[in-house]
Amino acid sequence: MKIGIPRALLYYYYSPFWKTFFEELGIEMVISPKTSKAILDKGIKESVPEICVPIKIFNGHVVTLLEKDVDYVLIPRMVSIKKGEFFCPKFMGLPDIVRHSIPNAEDKILYPQIKTNSDNLAKATDILQLAEPLGLSYSELKSALKKAGKEWARFNKICKKGYLIPEANKLMQEKLVKAAPRSGDITIGLLGYVYNVYDEFVSMNVYKRLQDLNVNLVTFEMIRNKDINKYLKKMPKRLFWTFSNKLMGAGHYLNNNPGIDGIIHLSAFVCGPDSMLGQVLESETQKTKKPFMTVRVDEHTGENHLITRIEAFADMIRNSKKKRRWA
Amino acid sequence: MKISFPYMGTTILYKKLLEILGHEVIMPPRPTRKTFDLGVKYSPEFACFPLKVITGTYIEALEKGAEVLVTSGGHGPCRAGFYHEVHERVLKNIGYDNEIIVFDALKDNFFKVLSSFFKIKANNSFAKVKEAIKTVYKMSYSLDKLEKEVTKRRAYEVTKGEFTTAWRKIKELYDNKVFTSEDVEKVELEAYELLNSIKIKEIPEQEKIRIGIVGEIYVVMEPSVNMEIEETLNSLGVEVERSQYLSEWIEFTLVPSRYSKSHEYEILKKADKWLEIGIGGHAKQSVGFIVDFYDRGFDGIIQLMPFGCLPELVAQSIIPKMSNELGIPVLSLSIDEQIGNANVQTRLEAFLDLVKSIKFEKQNKSNIISLQDIINRNRIANRTKEGIL
Ligand code: SF4
Ligand code: SF4
Repeated sequence: MKIGIPRALLYYYYSPFWKTFFEELGIEMVISPKTSKAILDKGIKESVPEICVPIKIFNGHVVTLLEKDVDYVLIPRMVSIKKGEFFCPKFMGLPDIVRHSIPNAEDKILYPQIKTNSDNLAKATDILQLAEPLGLSYSELKSALKKAGKEWARFNKICKKGYLIPEANKLMQEKLVKAAPRSGDITIGLLGYVYNVYDEFVSMNVYKRLQDLNVNLVTFEMIRNKDINKYLKKMPKRLFWTFSNKLMGAGHYLNNNPGIDGIIHLSAFVCGPDSMLGQVLESETQKTKKPFMTVRVDEHTGENHLITRIEAFADMIRNSKKKRRWA
Repeated sequence: MKISFPYMGTTILYKKLLEILGHEVIMPPRPTRKTFDLGVKYSPEFACFPLKVITGTYIEALEKGAEVLVTSGGHGPCRAGFYHEVHERVLKNIGYDNEIIVFDALKDNFFKVLSSFFKIKANNSFAKVKEAIKTVYKMSYSLDKLEKEVTKRRAYEVTKGEFTTAWRKIKELYDNKVFTSEDVEKVELEAYELLNSIKIKEIPEQEKIRIGIVGEIYVVMEPSVNMEIEETLNSLGVEVERSQYLSEWIEFTLVPSRYSKSHEYEILKKADKWLEIGIGGHAKQSVGFIVDFYDRGFDGIIQLMPFGCLPELVAQSIIPKMSNELGIPVLSLSIDEQIGNANVQTRLEAFLDLVKSIKFEKQNKSNIISLQDIINRNRIANRTKEGIL
């Protein structure tokens, strides 16, 4: 049996979980290749034009997997991982979008509903219902779930030590992980959904380019939940969406943290939740005079333009830091 | 205190409610180009269209002297629940410090609803408030019933414009003559007389075309933002019914416990096959209503959505397959400040041609059209010059 996993959306956040889960069950996992123009085009063909790029890309990955002769494609229905909060409507409806718009997908997707109260999916018991299609026993799944939860927790812990997700993935083999070295001369908070930040095609490698500019990066995964929630609690009404809230909380934390020299908000073009988030971040950073920049990416963004902007931003921060030092 | 509110649908209802409770009401002006422009100028760039229009309306109402704004928090996990936060910020930024009172759905935030309630209740007795709600509630049902008649009969009016004038008069009647819940019946009779006096063409049943409108609540309910789509369709000779009416919305906002048992429940059940869970906004209703309109023999569906509307985009992704399987043509229209009347008119006309040809071919049983044919034609109808919708 082969299970296809689209390398898109929350794959970046949950890959250690699913990897362990299926490994434990002895099921082969086929992960779609990195996003490319060809994958995006496949997605565009099967998506309604107005929908956001991340969903188009996701559809492209699903099509790619279906072509690869997998038995099933896993598309968890992300509903909630925190009490009172939900996912963006497109996540909640994702399996339905795929079922009804991608040819031949209807019988080939597995979509356990994720409704739990923690980022760790170990207690999302709906996953156990995969036992039947996978032809395995309930108890086998149960123990795989437990193991997957453990591994994910370890991964999450590594992130919190200051590592970006791809770095944390590489460090999973290590027994002891030290706090991330900070060799850059300035530190920038990079706020964005994992599927924008870590999809090199979408983000045009923004995070690597920033690192190449000798910038230390802080992303929401590195910030302790406690710190994220501290600021969220002060808001009269939170956003409904979990990951937008995480970014919001992280944004407040970074904004009030003197060790952070500036904040970049990376956003996909037509994203509803981000429009709200962006507005709040902008007005909050104005109050603290923290340098802030929004980078919007979509299929039309020019690479050179993007590089020029982030270089200018980093330079601006460096200069003002120098001035302050001499003042 | 001088109160105003967002403009959506039959606004005299909110006016009535507040007036009965003794508040001075500043009627928000009906949204116009100017409202859109104001809204677009001051709202965050990527906010949804309804939020922008409401920003514009608020500014206009405040200019007219409103002191307090009342709104419902909207329901379901979508941005609607976040509107007033953004509005407060936006208004503050341009120098208005006015309060926005929000009625969330009761089950979401009981205490906040309670405190909002007491602000609106002012010095009225509970009995009075109850009576006010009852009156408005009854009035909304009555008006919705009448509106449905209008959008049905207007398709066949002999003299153009008569029903639109009558509908305006009816709203004035309710505004001027209803003060208690008993008044509603009397005024309703009068309204029916008015409608019955208008001459209509006799059209054989099998030639009548019925279009159902589904979609996001604000653009479905507010004619000034959907370019009077119902009136336009009527003028093209087809009957129209919407998925949302004010009475249901009021029922939800004021009497949430009844909501779960309502008609809505049936509709949601019809959507299960297509959209298994509620995903926020009105997407599941939109999907359910497509099935419902189909079951009731409607000939075509129009989905209205604000540009970029998250839940409706999910519905839109599912619709092509629904349309094919049910064999009913569906046109999706996204609405924002840039949409032009002329463009919409042409697309509606093209869509109606399609609807009619499918209907008549279906009736003509000797000539059963293939599903593939409908699919192809539907695809063409949804294609604009710039590409697919
Ligand atoms: S959060 Fe934004 S980018 Fe992500 S799926 Fe929803 S609309 Fe798309
Ligand atoms: S339902 Fe659509 S228009 Fe309403 S808040 Fe959500 S995205 Fe905006």
